[in-house]
Amino acid sequence: MVDDSIVTIKKTGLEEAVAIAEKGTHCGMCRIDFLGTGLCPSGKKHGYVAYWPQGRMEIVKHLNNGRIQPTEKLIDIANSCTLCGICDKQCNFATQLRPEKVAKALKEYVKNLDKKKLQKVPADDILTGLRAIVGDEWATNDPVIIASYIRSIIPPDAPLNYYIVIPETTEQVSKIIKFANKHNIPFLPRSGGTALSVATPTILSNATSLEHGIVLDLLRLKKLQIHPESSTARVGAGVTAFELQKEAYKHHLRANVAEAGAHVCANIATTGIVTTWGNKYGCFADNFIDLELVDNDGNIRNHHDMEISNPYATDNNFTNISLSPPYVITEITVKLFPIFDDEEAVFVPFDNVEDALDMVLELGKRGIGLSLAVLSYKYLAEFICPTRKIATDFEDVCKNYLKLRYVLDVVCTKEDKKIIEGMFDYTIDQNMLRTLILGSPKLASLKTSEFMKILSEEEDPLRAVFAGPMRKHFEKGLDASPENIAKVYDADLQDFFKKVYARPDFTNVVWLHAFRILPSRLMRQRMAMGPGGAIWAGDKKHILKWINMFAEVGDKHKLEHALGFISPLDDGKFIYIEYDYFYDHNNPEVAGRISQTLLETTEKSLALGNVFTLINYLFKGIHRKEHVLYPLPKGLTKEEEKIFIDVLHSVLGEFEPW
Amino acid sequence: MVKFLSEDWIEYGKQYIRENLDPQKDLNNITTSVLGVIEHVPPQDTTTNFYLEITKGQLSDFILRIGDSISEKEAVFVITGNYGTFRDIFEGKIGIAMALLKNRIKLKGSKIEALKIIKQLDGLIEALRKISDEFEE
Repeated sequence: MVDDSIVTIKKTGLEEAVAIAEKGTHCGMCRIDFLGTGLCPSGKKHGYVAYWPQGRMEIVKHLNNGRIQPTEKLIDIANSCTLCGICDKQCNFATQLRPEKVAKALKEYVKNLDKKKLQKVPADDILTGLRAIVGDEWATNDPVIIASYIRSIIPPDAPLNYYIVIPETTEQVSKIIKFANKHNIPFLPRSGGTALSVATPTILSNATSLEHGIVLDLLRLKKLQIHPESSTARVGAGVTAFELQKEAYKHHLRANVAEAGAHVCANIATTGIVTTWGNKYGCFADNFIDLELVDNDGNIRNHHDMEISNPYATDNNFTNISLSPPYVITEITVKLFPIFDDEEAVFVPFDNVEDALDMVLELGKRGIGLSLAVLSYKYLAEFICPTRKIATDFEDVCKNYLKLRYVLDVVCTKEDKKIIEGMFDYTIDQNMLRTLILGSPKLASLKTSEFMKILSEEEDPLRAVFAGPMRKHFEKGLDASPENIAKVYDADLQDFFKKVYARPDFTNVVWLHAFRILPSRLMRQRMAMGPGGAIWAGDKKHILKWINMFAEVGDKHKLEHALGFISPLDDGKFIYIEYDYFYDHNNPEVAGRISQTLLETTEKSLALGNVFTLINYLFKGIHRKEHVLYPLPKGLTKEEEKIFIDVLHSVLGEFEPW
Repeated sequence: MVKFLSEDWIEYGKQYIRENLDPQKDLNNITTSVLGVIEHVPPQDTTTNFYLEITKGQLSDFILRIGDSISEKEAVFVITGNYGTFRDIFEGKIGIAMALLKNRIKLKGSKIEALKIIKQLDGLIEALRKISDEFEE
């Protein structure tokens, strides 16, 4: 525990701050300006996670549990917050948390510290060497700053034997890696950190984190140049998906990007960008023209170098698993795509996955749609509902009353929209989608109403609501307006959110798909672990068997679970499936069940064969899809299955057999 | 207990493995050989090589060479990494499979064949861990 003698008065307020901080999920939405509020001034200036709202939340927890002692830097971190309130708006949109309360509590806490008793943090030779590379400001061994990286690259229980370094150039990355190798220190790059934070509470914690050594925070590699003449963009490793998309849109161009807070370079390295736009825009090496990377020996390499061996080829066998990147991508030239003036979103509701799957496969093969996917009711609810409680009730309404279990979700041109509308009796258009977004609180509140009861007794409730005589009453009854949706937020934020929802973008489904700010809501106060991968699209039974396997394992381990999305790749020859398990990351018991589920579903997927699982996907992103997906690996033999289990035991340690 | 990568380490290692590891139970009667190339060995930043050979579950060769490579031996697997990684492995901070999957060590040879004997390699390292207590900083 913290030495109480250094705290001169009782830590009033810190306990409430810890309660908020424990719900933080490192979604990273406080590091992008998605609401037009500007960015946290402190985080923008100092870079280290410690100076961002998410970092302060992590620090408060570890001060409270005695893991760290106050240092000079803690005072700087606390006082650097201007209490501008930007973080409350950003975090509230995604997770309903109030990080400013944490910042206030931290300010109070440091105000009452006896400054003479702060922990001293002397520099050692390694830190001096790192500072010689990046400058004094950008390398540290301060335990308070290190603690802010716990759970997003540092395992929860590891001794804080780390250095954090924030390079600004590729050359600096190269020098740091050579320096680390010479001094026998392991290193790992960190970008957004969200994917690592999802794995941290599970058995994958040690496999995906750095056990000690040098954390290379890539935030300062901020090069971002749009080249309209070639429809490309040059993107540094510190640039997020949102930042790239925002710049591309200024030129009427669109990038194929992951979730808003994800860093583009890291996402390409990790999974080759998994999106609903993949069938049209591509996947794996389709995403880029050229890249610059630093290999694990510190050598700088460019794909345009004539001397290098084929960088696009890879073995897709199950043994070719990488748990860490074998290189650091520092810059990449990505492709950009035209935005058409007649783009629209159209949704088609389904009550069963088989029919929805048929349609997404058909449209994928025909090349219809720019973004094309099947979403489950759970994704739909999580994305469009402003709070978790509303999302839960909305899910109930969709699943049990409307019989809306899946939606075919298409962003397309007018011509494609006509084709889709011609294939179905009714669809959900952009206007209705806007109504559902703004009216989601009202719709959720109708869960136990007489109206829903009557509706559920209809033979086809979806038709009644979206195409029948009830549509007008339904639309009117939802009271869909920015004013009404803003009422679900805390009183002091209602005016702000009224303005946010009055902006066309925030109810424009095409824009929301391109900028991908809504998936962050999957992280509100819990985690969504989404195994899955790619599967050959030609065998529907095989696909359904795979989906059912995920559901059965979820049931077996008593987890909240649902299909996330299904989206075609490579002209509909493959589909990507994400299946999600949701869990409270503060509950070790449920995290244990998630671990079992991950191991079991991975092993069953590998045994099933003709799938490319998420564990195979990791760090294949720079290779050609033709090498990665052709042919898909066959199912494991009994001997291979045994090897796989032995390797898992060796990597992850002992765990309960499934 | 002896210093990691010393001549004593080799001698005690041979003795410990022969006395404590059962060829069938612990080493599954495997026949294999591993050449370890350890770079950046302090304090002189040298390269040290060790060669370990198992024949039908019995340790048949275990040699160490500082500076020069062990070119006269043709190992089934060559694993290359820096001293820090090998120190972490022999201190039990990271497993050999984890080091491989995290790209901390490079493998020359069939990955699937290497993974097939991962359990036995873990056992060998566990045995050597029990005699290694001094490492360069």
